[in-house]
Amino acid sequence: MTTPLLTVENLTLNYRTGGDPVQALRGVSLTARAGEVLGIVGESGCGKSTLAATLMGLAGTNAEITDGAVSFRGENILTAREETRRKLRGKHIAMVFQDPMTAFNPVLTIGAQLVDFQHNSGTPKRQRHSAARDMLDRVGIPDPDICMGRFPHELSGGMRQRAAIAAALLMQPEILIADEPTTALDVTMEAQIIHLLRNLQSDYDGAIIIVTHQLGVIAQLCDRVVVMYAGQVVEEADVDTLFHAPRHPYTKALIACDPASLSIKEKRLPTIGGRPPDLAHPPAGCAFADRCAQVEPICRTAAPPRVEIGPDHIAKCHEAWS
Amino acid sequence: MSALLELDRLSVDLSISRWPLRTTLNILSDITLTLARDETVGLVGESGSGKTTLGRALLGLQHISAGTVRFDGTPLKTAADFDRIRPRTALMFQDAVASLSPRMTVGEAVTEPFRIHNRPMPDWRARAAELLEEVGLPADMASRYPHELSGGQARRAGVARALALKPDLVIADEPTAGLDVSVQAEILNLMADLKDRYGLSYMVITHNLALVRHVADRIAVMYLGRLVETGPTAEVFSNPAHPYTGSLIAAEPKPDPRKRRTDLAIKGEIPSLIRRPSGCEFHGRCPLATARCRTEAPALRDIAPGRKARCHFAETYQKQGA
Repeated sequence: MTTPLLTVENLTLNYRTGGDPVQALRGVSLTARAGEVLGIVGESGCGKSTLAATLMGLAGTNAEITDGAVSFRGENILTAREETRRKLRGKHIAMVFQDPMTAFNPVLTIGAQLVDFQHNSGTPKRQRHSAARDMLDRVGIPDPDICMGRFPHELSGGMRQRAAIAAALLMQPEILIADEPTTALDVTMEAQIIHLLRNLQSDYDGAIIIVTHQLGVIAQLCDRVVVMYAGQVVEEADVDTLFHAPRHPYTKALIACDPASLSIKEKRLPTIGGRPPDLAHPPAGCAFADRCAQVEPICRTAAPPRVEIGPDHIAKCHEAWS
Repeated sequence: MSALLELDRLSVDLSISRWPLRTTLNILSDITLTLARDETVGLVGESGSGKTTLGRALLGLQHISAGTVRFDGTPLKTAADFDRIRPRTALMFQDAVASLSPRMTVGEAVTEPFRIHNRPMPDWRARAAELLEEVGLPADMASRYPHELSGGQARRAGVARALALKPDLVIADEPTAGLDVSVQAEILNLMADLKDRYGLSYMVITHNLALVRHVADRIAVMYLGRLVETGPTAEVFSNPAHPYTGSLIAAEPKPDPRKRRTDLAIKGEIPSLIRRPSGCEFHGRCPLATARCRTEAPALRDIAPGRKARCHFAETYQKQGA
């Protein structure tokens, strides 16, 4: 549980736009450890997908990394040559995307693509074929032999997502990043994919990173959670602490306004009010100050410190102890 | 409460003649449902269960093969009948951004119902500002185009357009799909306020059970184009009578790591409409299925005042749950 596989330190990334650059990531630090499921949660625009893409070395062409490092086994991915990074992708770090339809090539069969994904495994084609088949079986696809010959559009959303997970796991990567893996699915399929990921985790010694805006998925699946807001990590804790003793007002508000967390019917649901700040011109103080219920004068002038609440529990807030 | 909308044994068939299929698909079958004035009914089910088709059929946007729709006591048979009640109904579409014409400003879009139905509108700009204000959007939003809006703003514009003619019935198809939790709560609160102010009746179509629990007075659960359970929301949630309803509730990821599911609430996928299962259509996924379920189709029957379920063993199932 303790070996850090992937370390992100003070990652700072701007998107070039016509006007002032958008500061999408503003000093993000986190670690992903072997044998652990790390959740990254936050609302749209908080930078979670940018972070996930950057971990793969896939930040867009208009992205500019101005500071920080992403180290995989001690090597900084960001400064590595593209050739090195290409070798990392798929083999060591793999990704499952939100939309399982666009993850596959529509004109090739699932089998052909799964065989192709192993191109640098150095094994004979027949072996690659059986590895692909076995992986489909492992992710719970009934009749994997038939599935090998199917085209992506012939599979349902849930089955396509299973196939995408199979594809990501083919090369036995040390790190699996899943960006909103269940958002496009029904609640019944979502439960099955969560169940699958949790089972995979028990016999997989790599790290799984789940990026999502759904607190339910985080609670059901993750060991440790990073909460992001306005391009920063505002709280980090193990999953039980995060849901039962959150310290950052944003985390508290996020949990409070999830209708799934209210067991009795409410006429009016709690909301957070206001909007996240414009990241082209982030405020000098705390980015959450304008929406915060516990705001103090200092919040508007000074950037909040990283407060260590306990081992593995960090909140970026002036009032973390109050 | 008098009935605003009554559906009696409604069926929708689609004939398919594309090689190799030449068949009639029974998309909706035997739907009997009543919506009272001032009531909110939640229509839930997995993708492909026919929720959206039902919403379209009861507005006359989908050809009805059998059964009747009565609106405010008047049976609707011809297209002209549906056209006559059109101004008294409104639809909020699933994809809020796509439902706004990219070539119309928000102000033009929200006032379009007046033009379509030839309602007098002396000053459309003033009317647009009024409507936008009602849904919490600044008046200057009227001159914006849909691509300039955030997801939440587009939803609000959709609500403004739906309410333009002060309808009696609003059909909201996944009203918060794709929104962050805090914005979702804002939209739901807005819908609740407007309901109080104008005495609206809502039919909310969604697969989000947490949402339904908070907004709906009654829920109707669909499976393969049939209603499998109807009843008051709180009662159905606390003691579901159909195993499918129970499985859906159990499958929802609870935002609490202390309530993790270790088993699967529901296995498999919704079967294909082309090959409807024999007997009870849920038997392949049902934990209680017996030989009888495989051969004999259950009817939607009364199991308690105001509650119906389509299951041979509804009472047994309820006892087990309690």
